[in-house]
Order: sequence, then structure tokens, then C-alpha cells
Amino acid sequence: MNHRCHLVMQGDLMAGGYRQQPGASSAETRKDGKRVAGKQKFPPPGSGGSRPVMAPRDLDSIPESVGGKEPQPAGSHIHDRYRTGTEVGKPRALVDSHAKVTGQAWYGDDVRLPNEIIGKILRSPHHYAKIKSIDTSKVEALPGVLAVATGADAPNTFGVLPVTKDEHAMAVEKVRHVGDLVACVAAVDEATAMEALNLFEIEWEVLEPVFDPRKGLEDQDEPIHWRGKYHVGTTNVQKRVFQEFGDRSLVDDPTASSHGKWRMEGVHHGFTEPHAVVAHWDPNGRLQLYTPQQVPHYAHRALSTVLEVPMHQINVIRTFVGGGFGGKSDPFPHEMCAAILSRKAGRPVRINFTREEVYWINRGRHPSYIEVKMTADEEARISGFDIDALIDGGGFASFGHVTSYYNGVLATAPYELGSFHYTGARVWTNKPASGAMRGHGAVNTRCAVEVGLDEMAEQMQVDPIDLRLANLLPPHSRTISGFRITSNGMREALERVREGSDWDSKFRQMPLGKGIGIGCGFFISGSGLPIHWDPNRFPHATVHMQIDMDGGVTVHTGAADIGQGSTTAVAQVVSEVLALPIEMIHVRSHESDTSPVDLGSYSSRVTFMNANAAIRAALDIREKLLNAAWEMLGYHPDVLVLNDRRIYYKHDPAVGVSYLEALHKAQEDKGSLISSGAYRSPPMGGVHKGAAAGLAPAYSFSAYVAEVDVDVETGLVACTNVWAAHDCGKALNPLAVEGQIIGSCHMGLGQVLSEKMVYGRTGHLQNPNLLEYKIPSIHEMPHVTPIIVESSDPEGPFGAKEAGEGPLLPILPAVVNAVYDAIGVRIRDLPLTPDVVWKAITAKCKALDGIDETELPSPRLVHSPLQPTLVARGQEHKERDRKRQRSEDTSAYVNGVLFGFDPDRPLEDQVEGWKSAVEPVPEQLAELGLAGKAWLKKEQRQMGGDQ
Amino acid sequence: MIPSAPKTIWSAKVNGQDVQAIAPSNAILLDVLRDEVGMLGVKRGCDLGTCGCCTVLIDGEPRLSCLCLAGQVEGQEITTVEGLAQGAHLAPIQTCFATHGGSQCGFCTPGFLMSAEALLNENEQPSRDEIACAIEGNLCRCTGYQQIVDSIEAAAEIKRGDAPAPTPASDPHPNPHPEGPDEPSMPPGHAR
Repeated sequence: MNHRCHLVMQGDLMAGGYRQQPGASSAETRKDGKRVAGKQKFPPPGSGGSRPVMAPRDLDSIPESVGGKEPQPAGSHIHDRYRTGTEVGKPRALVDSHAKVTGQAWYGDDVRLPNEIIGKILRSPHHYAKIKSIDTSKVEALPGVLAVATGADAPNTFGVLPVTKDEHAMAVEKVRHVGDLVACVAAVDEATAMEALNLFEIEWEVLEPVFDPRKGLEDQDEPIHWRGKYHVGTTNVQKRVFQEFGDRSLVDDPTASSHGKWRMEGVHHGFTEPHAVVAHWDPNGRLQLYTPQQVPHYAHRALSTVLEVPMHQINVIRTFVGGGFGGKSDPFPHEMCAAILSRKAGRPVRINFTREEVYWINRGRHPSYIEVKMTADEEARISGFDIDALIDGGGFASFGHVTSYYNGVLATAPYELGSFHYTGARVWTNKPASGAMRGHGAVNTRCAVEVGLDEMAEQMQVDPIDLRLANLLPPHSRTISGFRITSNGMREALERVREGSDWDSKFRQMPLGKGIGIGCGFFISGSGLPIHWDPNRFPHATVHMQIDMDGGVTVHTGAADIGQGSTTAVAQVVSEVLALPIEMIHVRSHESDTSPVDLGSYSSRVTFMNANAAIRAALDIREKLLNAAWEMLGYHPDVLVLNDRRIYYKHDPAVGVSYLEALHKAQEDKGSLISSGAYRSPPMGGVHKGAAAGLAPAYSFSAYVAEVDVDVETGLVACTNVWAAHDCGKALNPLAVEGQIIGSCHMGLGQVLSEKMVYGRTGHLQNPNLLEYKIPSIHEMPHVTPIIVESSDPEGPFGAKEAGEGPLLPILPAVVNAVYDAIGVRIRDLPLTPDVVWKAITAKCKALDGIDETELPSPRLVHSPLQPTLVARGQEHKERDRKRQRSEDTSAYVNGVLFGFDPDRPLEDQVEGWKSAVEPVPEQLAELGLAGKAWLKKEQRQMGGDQ
Repeated sequence: MIPSAPKTIWSAKVNGQDVQAIAPSNAILLDVLRDEVGMLGVKRGCDLGTCGCCTVLIDGEPRLSCLCLAGQVEGQEITTVEGLAQGAHLAPIQTCFATHGGSQCGFCTPGFLMSAEALLNENEQPSRDEIACAIEGNLCRCTGYQQIVDSIEAAAEIKRGDAPAPTPASDPHPNPHPEGPDEPSMPPGHAR
């Protein structure tokens, strides 16, 4: 290895750059007339190979393993040999940032087509009602109205998940929440369309609505949806989950235990761009649909189903997306409405949402009732881990099937567990539908679990960080439910926030009203199973590349850039592999006509899957270029180096060809170079029902420390400082990763301190606007210190994992734990608005014989004898983790080894009580929690109904 | 429903150009700017004055165009995000939002740029607190504001002359081939 490094570096030592030598020798052509490689005049300026000076290789951005100087504490990576030091790991402005700062970025509302008309949607005034009849005659008679549509125009159902297609473009039989779509109209201008909405004559039969998810568990006269033979009794349960793994006998005689009942309000994504859509049936009868979609492909599929038009006759054009966070990832009924109206009117139709309509379509985080019971044994190992989550799905299924699983299974790491027990249920109610939101399904239970750990640490009188450090799963291991953990930077993240925040001199030592708290996070980096699973094993992501004579690279991808910088990430990896400046890479990702299928921006999959596909496409081009250079230079590709638009012999940089020369050689007789790359996650996971939920090719880890000030007299909580460490594998663009971390803190802080969707006693949403839905302004933001941890994921593109959703998780528990540190009160009602905190403080004062709130005792920590044991175990595990991360130890590791089990034998064979169950046995039914009550009912098929 | 108002000719100076538009006398400035003048860089986020996406400068003062009747600013000087750049050269504030991560999804960016520009025109060395007060009426859901404040600080430095003006690489039409010893630096199409 060293020998090779030395040779590679010869050319690099010429710090001023290596000058090519055009015409230095008179022999530009050989006797036979052929050109001599490396001795040619340069092509015209502006083209790829024009520069006479090659920049020196940026050795600081080339890994140690291939002769550079970039340190690799986590070991080498399979992509190291394709690193050219061009782009990866450098803070970069987003490639589309200039469009954004000049106002030229075109969002949904900025698409203006000639001759367009305006569509408006009639929304339900009732929570729950049957539509007996709709009379549209007066609407149609209004001058200026060009098209009217109702549910009868589009009877086919759709939904983002193939298993729960329960939505219509407009209500067909009944409306399911206030704001549900009833009909739509297109008119020459907005005023006429608004007037037309008043002319619909509808006969309603109002039904008894359900707002409380707890009530939804009971049998109803008229369930909100009907699932046929799979319907649970006649309740409103949309999905129920039961999972039990591990050895339940370990739970007996706990040393510490925590039992928390949580109430979490629903929150909304709060993206700044309201939904907008433009539909246009072109003269050839094809639909052109412009929409700000995170997941254009699923919208494409749904449009095809609803409109009964083949997919190839629809072109979905993704506009710039003004923030998504999960809220623009469902196929939406208004997209169908615009298409239907446009087909009827024969003109382009634009529908813009008001901010209020944005809240009616919702898809925000589920309002949840969560119960967490945890126990620790005498060695402070987490022996019992019970979660019960009842989530309020609102009127439609959306992503809810998955959310029901995620609430449990994404809590099974990063800690080693003795047993895991989860019951979850998602219930339909007559409210706007909940769906996927940043940190999908994992956020609420993660908060409950981390606060439970804090409580147990206090009972055992140990430091909560040391408790965590002594219970972590190592890299290359398996969780209790069978998830495959590869890279794992959890330990480093914890250590770095501990150091950065000066934790050891602050925790449990600050005066009343000031507190510090810790929280961790664990999230998927790309869902391992594509939602629209199909037996042909289509890839998750495909990227096409094309290079024409001028040397510019056009990359076609379907990945939706929603501001997170996925387009930039793709441009960066292509630039890195081909050693071309990023300005030469042009990413086209807006049109389904030109881009290959990509599953979209959800489950934090884009960087991981799409950049992997882009690397593969770029490698194909790289090989063609190197082969051309081989032909010209006579040196095998193995001894050729790509750097800054030049390919040269690694032992003598003077011998080489420019990128353009090699390109033109490669293009001889073929024309432009074209390649395609794809990514599909490897087969993994267990075989039990629901095993695929939460499976991912990699997982991200994070640890945050938050510092808060609590005003004990008013209950106002202010977060002042956050130290945020996130393991993103490898930061392809550190500027973007830091932006994601800080932005996640902002969104999480909103949920924990101020944001909630308020439903009044009558079930009405009372704050569908940005004035009363309280998103933190700059004055509520703490100073965030982002800390990037790089664990180099073996399957990630150049080692990268997600950084978009995982960083949101830890901020909630960190703040809740910090509030406890400040005032000694544990609050389990989110958000921690002043009224909630003040009530808790008052209750505590009353319990302490009516002391004044300024005399509240601050919690203090005196270490028990368990503390040194934990520190020692943490140190031991640190060495274990280091060896596993660097593949010095490749032995198997499964959850349970900490409890003394042998990882090489099935755990069921070692412990009599080791369980792996996905349905409760009848004896268990009586003791199940709130969501577990969903298992008290039988499915219709077991009752003989709807066979 | 609002009764339709008579249409009048509205005139103002938008980004240095005299413009005239035919609009109802009760038209909202945001609607006129977007639909009649064609300044689609002015964004509509809430129509309630809560998000700040539609901020424009009226005679140098930041105002929310969704809360402003067009008639109120008749004849005045209006600057939108489209008026920040000097031809093809971005203003320092624009460059810095790109290079410092001040813009992620970019929808709130025009509003932030206008608020920041107004601040920097008044105060050449704002503290982080002063910057915070200047942009408190703008909501951003992506960045958590920190990199926005960084961007504004960096732009202030350039405006004061404490930091070098943006290099050609941050122009909207950058030359991908920085200067070499015997090659002119301008890309084709630019005057030499």
C-alpha cells in the first residue's frame, strides 16, 4: 500500500499544478498520420479539456487508503478508489441555489400556461355525512364556468400504499372530515370560481362523527371506512400491530423501572409553499401535470388509475418544491381534480391552495397516546421494553399502515434489549388525515423511550449518558426484531455531545430553572422495501447519464429535490467520480417523460439510493473514458489517474490526455456516451409478519444535548443551546448536512414547545393558519452546534447515510429531559406550552406541602456503586465497537449477547422463554394497553362476515 | 363574496422600470405584482401577513405585499427579489445565501433577501441580534434560521468591504475554468 501511495503522489507534489505541454515536441503526429497523445493543441475555451494547467490533486480530500491525506478513523470504504478529491466532503452551495436567490425557481404556483383557467374545490362543511344528491345545474349555468366535476366523474380509489387505497378524487358516497373534497369547478377567473362554489345544491345525511381515537376502538354503527373481510369488528381500527420478541422472564425483579403515559398532539409540516397544481391535456391527448411533489412516481401511478389513462400518456412535471417534510408525498385528490377539470374544459387548469386548505389536506404527524414501560436489571441492562401506541389517523389511511409499525419497531435500537413488546393501533377519525412527517412514526415513541431511560438512570443514580454508552448495540449487529445494523456512530455521537456541551460539569448541578438533557435517535436510511413492491424486483433508483461532444454531463434522475439538496448530491458524486468541475454536471429531474423511475423523496432514501445509482452510472462512463485513454496512451486503466479534466499515467503526469481527447476517442463511431446505473437494497430481514417495516440498508444515529431555561413562575420554556451530533456516514456536503441538522432542531423544537393542531370540542380544527399554529420564529431558536459524525457506511455512496429525518428525533427527549433537570418535574404532555408546564409546577408545589415555586428543589445526582461498573462496561464496549467497525472483529453479534446469549445459535434454543410473536395469545388480551385493545375484536372473516 | 371593483390603471416603478397595469381598484399588491407585472419571485405563503414570503421593498422599506393594497403604493418605488442582481451579477446577499446555506427549499428566500437587504442598507455592521430582529417576520421551515443569519453576516462583510466581493465563480454564469497562465478567463460569449 505504501509503495503505491508514493507513486501516486509524485505528480501531486508539484503544488503549482502540472502544465500540459502542447506542441513542446514537434511530433504532434506520427508518421502514419495519427495524433500523438498528450501532444495536441487544446480544444476551444469553454469546453471540458481546455485548461492548460491541471490543478494539483486535492490530497486532503482523498482517503488515506488510496494514498491521500483524508483520515479514515472508521476504516476504508469500497468507493475510496473512485475518489478524485473533486467534490465529496466539501461544503457546496446547492446547484439550484442561484435559481432560488434570484426568484427564478418555479414552484407550483409559478407555472403559468397560456389560456389557463382557475379551479376551486368545494369542501365539506360536515365532519361526517352521506351525500344523498348533488345538483350542479346552477353551477353549470353560471357564465364563466367552464367545467364542473363531482365524485361520480372519478369513482376509482387510490392511496399512497397499495394495501390501503381508500381515497377518491372527490367524495363518492360520504365525506369523512370537514374540508374533505366534495366537488370542483373551473372558471375563467378566481372570483367566478368562488361564486360558483356557492351554487352547488347538496342534500346531506349527517352521521355521528368520531374524534377521539380511543372511542374509535369501539364498535360503530357506521365505520368511517370498510375493509371487508379484514375489517376489525365494526370499529374504526385501520391497522393493528402486535410484536413480541425476547425473554420476558428478564423483566422480573427490576432494579429500576419507568412507566410513562404520553399524550402527543398532532403537528403539521408547515412548509411555506401551499399546494398548487396545474393540469393540461395537450393537443395530443396527453396529460401534462405540474405539481410540487416529493414522490412524483406514486402520483403518476394514482393519476393513471383514477383517470383510467396509461402511465405513458401522463407526464408528471415536478416543479420546485417549497418544502415537503412528508407533506407532499401522497398522491393528492386535488391533482386528480385539476386533471379532470382540464380534460372537461379543454384548457389548462390551475388550482392553488389557501393556507387553510393546506391544513385540511394535512398528512401531518399523528396525534398519539403512547405508553412506555421499561425495566432495567441489576447490571443496568434494559430488560423490559413495552410500547403501546394508539395513533389518530384522521379520515384516510395515507402512510398509516407503515406509521403503525414504525411507532414500535424504530425504537428497537440503538440499545440492546432483553425483551421487546409492542402493541400499536391506528384509528380512523373524522379529522383531516394524518400521514408521514419528517421522522415518520419514530419521533413520538423515541421521545417517550429516551425520557424513560432518563428516569431509570435517576432511579439507579447513574449518569444517563453512561447508562446509554453501556447498552449500545455495536456496529455490524442485529436488533431484537432482526434489523441489520451496519455502520454505527452512536457511541461517538454521545461522546462528542458530552464533551461539546461540558455535560459533566452541568448535569444535575445547575440552579433551579436551568437544565440540561440528553436524547438519542435512530432512523432508517431508505426503506428497504419499495412501497409499490413488485415481483420483477425493479430497482429502487435508476440514473441515466449522457455526455455529448462538448463534454458536459447530463444526468437524468427522478429523485425529487425538495430543498434537501438531492440534486446537488447527485451532481457531486458524478463530479467526484469523473473528476470534472460540478458546473459541468447538469441534473435533470423534473419530468417523468425524461427521467427514469425513482421512488421519490421519502424515508430518507434519496442520497443513499440515488447517489449509489449515480455512482454506478458514472463508473460506466469512467470505464469507457479510461479504455479510450488506454488505447491512446498504451497504459492500462489500473495505472491511470483521473484528475481535473485530465487522465494521466500515475507515475508520470506528463503522459496523459485531456478529458475531451479521451471523450472524443470514446465517442468514435458511437456518438454521445450513455450509461445507466441502478440501486436495489440487498435482501435482508426476518420472516415474521411485518418484518419488512423498518428494514433499511443502513441506519442513522444521533445524540443531542439541549440546555433550557424554565421560568418557574410562568412555565415558559426557552431552549438556549443545542449540541447536535448526527452520524450521517459520510458528509458528501457538510454545509447541507449542517443545514439539515439545524433545520431538524427547529422543527422538533416546534413540536416539543409550541406546535399543535387544536381541535375544539366540536371537532373543528381551530388553528389552520400560521398565526395560531405556532412555528418557532428566529427568536425561539437556540444556538445549535452541529457535530457531524462519520461512521462510513459500507453500502452508502462514499459511505454516506441519511441526514434529513434522523436529526429531528433526539431534540424532543433532550428538551423534555432538560426541563426535568431544570425544575424536577416530568411532563408527558406535548407540546410543553407554558400552561402545561405551569400546571405541572403547581401540582408539584402542592404535593410538596404547598411550597413556593421558586423553592422547588432541583434534582441532584449522587452516583451509586453501579456508576463505575457502567463506565467500565462502556469502555470495554468502545474497544469492541472499534474493532467491529474496522472489521478487525467479524464475529456475529445479535441483540442478546449482552445478556449472555451465544450469537451463533438460535436464541429460541438457548432460552425457553425466548419469544417471537406477531399476534397475542388469548391469555395476554386482558393485560394489553390502550392500543392493544384493538386486539379484543375479531376480524370480519373470523366472524363469518364479508367472506 | 367581495363585489368586483372597477378596474383602474395602476402605475409604479418596479425594479427601476416604470410599469402600468390594469387592475381592480381594490387589488392586493401581491396579486398585481405576480399576475399583472409578472414578478413571480414574490411568493404567496399565507395571505395573512404571517410568513413573510411576499416581502418587498417599498421605497426601501420592507413591507408585506399581501397586506398592502396596490393603490396604497401607487407611483412608489417597489423592489422585488428580481431587482437585487445587477444584470448577471448577483448582489452579495444573494451570493451569500447560496454559499452559506441560507436557502434550502428556497420558497421563503425571496422574502428573507428583501428583509435582509433593507437591514443592510440601513446598518452596515449588524449584530446577530439585530439581524434576528430584522428577519423576525419571516418564517423558514427548512434552515432553522442559523445559516440565514450566517449568510446575512457574510453579506454585510462584503458590503462593508471587509471581505472580497464575490468571485466570478459565484456569478450566475460562472466560468468553470479559472484563469490559467495563457488562457483568457472569460467564457465564450462574454465581452473580453
